[in-house]
Amino acid sequence: MRVSYNWLKNYVGIKVPAGKLAELLTMAGLAVDSIEKKSDDSVFEVEITSNRPDWLSYIGVAREVAAITGKKLKIPSIRHCEGTKAIVSPSSQRQIVVKVEDEKLCPRYTARVIYNVKVGESPDWLKKKIEAVGLRPVNNIVDITNFCLFETGEPMHAFDLDKLSGRSIIVRKAAKDEKIKAIDGTERALDESMLVIADSDRPIAVAGVMGGANTEVGMSTKNILLEAAYFDPISVRRTSRRLALSTESSYRFERKVDMDNIVYASARAAHLILEVAGGKRGEFIDIGRQKKDKRRVSLRFERLNKITGADIAPSRAKAILTSLGLKLNSTTKAAASFEIPPFRQDLQDEIDLVEEAARIYGYDNIPGTVPQVVEPGLNVPFGIVVDDKIRDVLTKMGLFEIITYGLLSKSSLNSAMISDTDAVEIKNALSTEQEVMRPSSIVGMLKSIRYNINRKSRDLRLFELGKVYFKNGADTFKESRNLSIGVTGQVYDDWMGRGRSVGLYDLKGIIEALFLELGLGGFSIEKNTINDTFSPVVSSFIEVRGEPMGIIGEVDAKVLNNFDIKDKVYIAEINCETILRFVSLEKRFQELPRYPSISRDISIVVGNDILNAQILSSIKGTAGVILKDVQLIDRYRGGQIPDGKTSLTYRLEYQNPKRTLEDKDVQDVHSRVVRALETNLGAKLR
Amino acid sequence: MREKIKEIKTSALQEVASATDSDAVEKARIRYLGRKGLITELFKKMGSLPPKDKIEIGRLINLLKEDVSKALDEKASSMSGGRAARAEKIDITLPGIAPEIGSTHPISKTIKEICDIFISLGFKIVEGPEIENEYYNFEALNIPLEHPSRDAFDTFYIADKLLLRSHTSPVQARFMEKNKPPFAIVIPGKVYRPDATDASHSFMFHQVEGLAVGDNIRFSDLKGALTIFAKRMFGKTTKMRFRPSFFPFTEPSAEVDISCILCSGGQKCSLCGGKGWLEILGAGMVNPKVFKNVGYDPQIVTGLAFGMGVERIAILKYGITDIRMFFENDIRFLRQF
Repeated sequence: MRVSYNWLKNYVGIKVPAGKLAELLTMAGLAVDSIEKKSDDSVFEVEITSNRPDWLSYIGVAREVAAITGKKLKIPSIRHCEGTKAIVSPSSQRQIVVKVEDEKLCPRYTARVIYNVKVGESPDWLKKKIEAVGLRPVNNIVDITNFCLFETGEPMHAFDLDKLSGRSIIVRKAAKDEKIKAIDGTERALDESMLVIADSDRPIAVAGVMGGANTEVGMSTKNILLEAAYFDPISVRRTSRRLALSTESSYRFERKVDMDNIVYASARAAHLILEVAGGKRGEFIDIGRQKKDKRRVSLRFERLNKITGADIAPSRAKAILTSLGLKLNSTTKAAASFEIPPFRQDLQDEIDLVEEAARIYGYDNIPGTVPQVVEPGLNVPFGIVVDDKIRDVLTKMGLFEIITYGLLSKSSLNSAMISDTDAVEIKNALSTEQEVMRPSSIVGMLKSIRYNINRKSRDLRLFELGKVYFKNGADTFKESRNLSIGVTGQVYDDWMGRGRSVGLYDLKGIIEALFLELGLGGFSIEKNTINDTFSPVVSSFIEVRGEPMGIIGEVDAKVLNNFDIKDKVYIAEINCETILRFVSLEKRFQELPRYPSISRDISIVVGNDILNAQILSSIKGTAGVILKDVQLIDRYRGGQIPDGKTSLTYRLEYQNPKRTLEDKDVQDVHSRVVRALETNLGAKLR
Repeated sequence: MREKIKEIKTSALQEVASATDSDAVEKARIRYLGRKGLITELFKKMGSLPPKDKIEIGRLINLLKEDVSKALDEKASSMSGGRAARAEKIDITLPGIAPEIGSTHPISKTIKEICDIFISLGFKIVEGPEIENEYYNFEALNIPLEHPSRDAFDTFYIADKLLLRSHTSPVQARFMEKNKPPFAIVIPGKVYRPDATDASHSFMFHQVEGLAVGDNIRFSDLKGALTIFAKRMFGKTTKMRFRPSFFPFTEPSAEVDISCILCSGGQKCSLCGGKGWLEILGAGMVNPKVFKNVGYDPQIVTGLAFGMGVERIAILKYGITDIRMFFENDIRFLRQF
């Protein structure tokens, strides 16, 4: 709400300059977002929390200023304004009919008639105020209702009495297919859930939201009917949302206006109308609940300090609460009971009084202490420990972590050849970019790669940790931890010219190193698979102990084309939820070998169809217990190697934990290994 | 023999001293220390000495050798050249070849930093689901379904009463239902809100939530804990301000500001707008209604709670200008962290 410093001064003596006042308000919970300095005024933009509808008025803000500065609140008197009590003429003489059909949504309705007003431009003082709150002056009658809305917090509406068919006001639900042209000039369709003000023919206002154009007060208006009422907050909120129409009026009704203040506001407006636009008072009709709410709430002083950790004296607490308009009802050494004023709907329980006392006492005056709660045992859940470990290992290997959106479009999934059948749909997405929750993080990876390539960064090693989401039957859903890794471009690119393109084995190596660091025993990346996202010849399942945990491959050319990526891209996606079951981060020391090992290389030529795995398995199967390790150290095709053949060199490391191996021990085993390769796999020694 | 040693020493040192180029130094080296050098020859003659002199003479020859070698080396290195000049000289100004080290995302980094501070204060980390139901996201936290207080929590729905959590607070309620106080937890995670994306809004972002419940947790503890947090996160001289505010799940509630990290207030600052303060989080004492919802007795336990936007903290900490950069993943951006 916009609060003019000068206008506010009408209700409370303010001795501090505008800047200081803004600070005081901010520290009392009325956050001043900005100050607009005018030649003769300062206007604050104040952010008002939804629990304080009373602050949505100048009198309400002034009451707060009075409490925090110890000054007196001055509320404009309506003493000389008749009609604070209902004037009900005998029905035969009645000029207007008011009927409330829905007392639940409109527990109180007042209508006041004023005859012979002179509608015209507002006087300067009024225009200035209307402009200060950010509205455009319309005419003196409309401006006065707006002025009073800001002064009292009570929205009001003036109808052109002569335009009301049957001179009647009926508060009812809208009928099916009814329409209204509101004063903003837009015609809106109403539905049966909405409360309207109608005359005998048609709706003339959407209750609490906006008046209709047909009965609006204009230059030719002579007689007016002034409405001041209480409308149900939830009903106004629903209607306002459904019509996508939020007004100063609906904003206040949604937050509950002060029902006991309606008559005051109406009288105040009438007083100003008579003063500014002339005219003569007519009937005042007041229908509905009028009983004042006399709620009492007590505060235990010990409780106040137990919650705040401060040392607020009972006398101070009582002084604070009474300064806010609460009436001290009774008091003992331990507690005090207060009568809550009607404008403080938010004060219901003891904790509300604790907050008020603490707020005005000043949060600044409450000391700082350290909470005495210490969690024994593990303080990081295993999932996060593992995530952190993955981040640590991958960044050490030169990968960069990315975070991409969890929502995306179906079309982007389709571009990556990922099915959207199990994707969780968003019912109220703002754009197609938020249509579904991602069932895979591959799309995000491809988009990030494209983003970088388009900006000339082509050598990329990226990973993302985050959740993916799936449908899991009707209206049940699943979310699951996920890791994706993507690589493209050059492996090295230095001035020594050692650069080469990154390949599938680089990505496979990253995963192998990661899995070793995670203590994942028994994983394999050896089973070719068919998956539309990946090239049919360069992709594989990632398995841990025989269970599929993910997929790795070269992204299919068609997918890359869909993403407008020209370079080769290799991606792996791993289900981290499943992997968690196998991760072991515990380390055990193993005694170092006491006896030296012996290395022997084997260079063989085999047919191209022979797999590395077959060779390894043959070597391991024949070498026996003294084989400690075997590594492929060279692989070569072409040159002196005949077509259809591959040359491979393996380095075997032999070791006996109990004694020093001798050449002849190794020789026997090694020849056995070579013979097996020759007979089983048709290998030829080079 | 001793004479001879002395003589060789004098002549050798003289020759080294008078050498004017590296060739001369090399010649001297060969003349004295070469395979047939004068000093090498002395060693060969050792065999003919009587045993009683062997040790003493051997020691002297060794000393001689050391002295001459040292003189030769010093001379060689004093001349720009020497042996080094014969090897190919490298261009030491060529760039070193460093293996690239990756980096964690600034959001992950910030989450870890925040959590670590609270762990050091005795908190533990707890996680919860991103797909939530209305009860935990709203009602359990005292946010009525049709109330203006819900305006701040616009929410993506995926089915009737099922949604993407719009804050990390539902994990509070889930945790309290299953655990007994006292405890202190922090809850990091992703949240979603249907916001139009611009430089300061994103429909997906991250929060860290904190909650400590016990029989003696006070507002002053909230102040103390958050002050430690702010000073560790933003520097020792950071000042804090607690402003009264409103959240349905806490009471009393506070908005917490830190002193502007760019200016000292009162100036035209692009970051704080001249206010001198930056909003960093919302906090308060757990509303008794929330305790009732999870089955705690609010007369017995009290609790503090706070929640912060990780992007906001990271933006302030690193001086980032646009929230979208976090999710574009420009490698030139990522390399900076």
